[in-house]
Amino acid sequence: MSLRTLLVDDTRLARAELRTLLAAHPDIEVVGEADDVAPAIAAIESLRPALVLLDIQMPGGTGFDVLDGLAHAPLVVFSTAYDQHAVRAFEANALDYLVKPVAPDRLAAALARVRERIATTGGEGAASTTASATPLGAHDQVFLRDGERCWFVQLAEVSRIVVDGNYARVWFRGTSVLLTRSLAALEARLDAAMFFRANRNTLVNLRHVQAIDLSVGDGYDLTLKDGATVEVSRRQARELRERLAL
Amino acid sequence: MIDPARLRPTNRMHDADPMPTAPTLDHRRFALANAGVWVAYGVLNGLLFMVFAGPTTGMAAIAVLLAIGGYLVTTALRRIAQAGGWLDAGTWALAWRLALAVLVGAAIVQVIVAGGLLLMRDSGLVRFPGDGRGDFRPVAMLGYWLNTVFLLGVWCVLWLGARATRRGRRAELARLHLLAERHALELDALRARLNPHFVFNALNNLRALINEDTERARELVTRLSNTLRHALEHHASDVVTLGEELAVVEDYLAVEAVHYEDRLQVRWDIAPAARSLRLPPMLVQLLVENAIKHGIGRTPGGGVLQIGARVGAGALVVEVDNPGTLDATLQPRDAGGAPGGVGLAYLRARLASDPRHAFALVADCGRVRATMTIAQEPGA
Repeated sequence: MSLRTLLVDDTRLARAELRTLLAAHPDIEVVGEADDVAPAIAAIESLRPALVLLDIQMPGGTGFDVLDGLAHAPLVVFSTAYDQHAVRAFEANALDYLVKPVAPDRLAAALARVRERIATTGGEGAASTTASATPLGAHDQVFLRDGERCWFVQLAEVSRIVVDGNYARVWFRGTSVLLTRSLAALEARLDAAMFFRANRNTLVNLRHVQAIDLSVGDGYDLTLKDGATVEVSRRQARELRERLAL
Repeated sequence: MIDPARLRPTNRMHDADPMPTAPTLDHRRFALANAGVWVAYGVLNGLLFMVFAGPTTGMAAIAVLLAIGGYLVTTALRRIAQAGGWLDAGTWALAWRLALAVLVGAAIVQVIVAGGLLLMRDSGLVRFPGDGRGDFRPVAMLGYWLNTVFLLGVWCVLWLGARATRRGRRAELARLHLLAERHALELDALRARLNPHFVFNALNNLRALINEDTERARELVTRLSNTLRHALEHHASDVVTLGEELAVVEDYLAVEAVHYEDRLQVRWDIAPAARSLRLPPMLVQLLVENAIKHGIGRTPGGGVLQIGARVGAGALVVEVDNPGTLDATLQPRDAGGAPGGVGLAYLRARLASDPRHAFALVADCGRVRATMTIAQEPGA
């Protein structure tokens, strides 16, 4: 299976060098190049690559700005000439990062990780070439950013999404990040079979529900794996019963 | 990146100067030490009197009054010396003033002692050995006075000695602070000149160029070597000619031209007469680096970098003009690049050495122009 790959770097020679290095990997199909933030976002939306080799510093902004502009993040391997700051931010979360000049065996190792990731998520996930109207699946990953900290999070890892003012707070791995999007906008992009609107303020990942208890009125109290409890309103209780075939 | 904490020793150096900023602390420490000295003197004196003249209330009173008088007079002497700026005067000026002060001071001590003793004797509080009335004849008084002169003289020598020792220690500390600060700044400057982003991008471009155009690749190696060698060299001289400085800038721009390709267009406008004028090293280089890092590099599509130099009124005027905004020039890059403010702070610090030098950064219509004016020595 060939891996559709987009190269993003503001320097032509750097892109040429990546092409040369990638020629040693026949399963990598370079589907395009972009030299700045806006063209990169456009290319990702139109070409739907499975993998993006993404430079961090570009004239119009950073590689993080590219990811911020996307509905869901493709698999990303960052590249940078020297950027301790960004490298630190991503050490724990990024699929991988490469420092320029890229050593061939480091590139091979990074690509091996990419292939492994695609294999474990069933080749679907980020490799999906579906239109943006299709809801995101459990293995689709989103890019979350909170100041200097960044995460790639698979939707299966998100336990709940709660209204916070005009925005929405996403809970995952025991921590949370504020997204500058409304809950309704997020709900429209999510798979209704996985995320359930428990009440006016909260979307719950049904796979994270550990216990269901009856509460006052006709509602339920959900206990999630991370220990949080979410109230299910009376109106939504019937919906939940149907969904879970109680 | 310059850590602001590193700049703090400069302020501390002012604190180390005891006169203007920490007088109360110094006065208190002195008062304590001086009181200790005179109490010890009083006790010793009392013991000696008891051993050689027998224990009488009169001799005890002399010991106590001498100590009190000595304490008061020496405290006053120090105040007067400090207020009068005696310590900043020359050695001889200090010597004769102190000598006079010691003579007068000893007289005052004797007035205090004799006055106190006579009062106490006449009210029957104390008795002296022998006839019980004590020896207050003029010739005896002269002897007491000479004794006190000697005592105060010794005190002055001890005081000045202790003071000089403390001063010396503080000066040494200040010197070490200054040295540490200078080393930190030099390290920062070296790191800035060996900008890793620049170096690794150049090497990455070189890798690609070796496949694409070996001649240009070879040229790039030469230019990069020149730039690195120059960055590593210690600048022994404090000034260079503009011509020398521009040679460095040309090498640097040749490396950047490979990186930015048609995004970087350089226009030179150097008056021939300006080439022999003098300026501190690395300043034009710094302005050009800033123009690329925060101007060309952050403008989609790049643009024109203009470098101009002309002869002004007794001064060299250098102008670097690039697309961009002041915000981009002064703000750090959000993805962790070196902040632009540090280089400019260094430049301003270098120019501050001469009030006739000047530097201005002006934004206008999407371009930023840096103008640096370097006053020339008339003889040079």
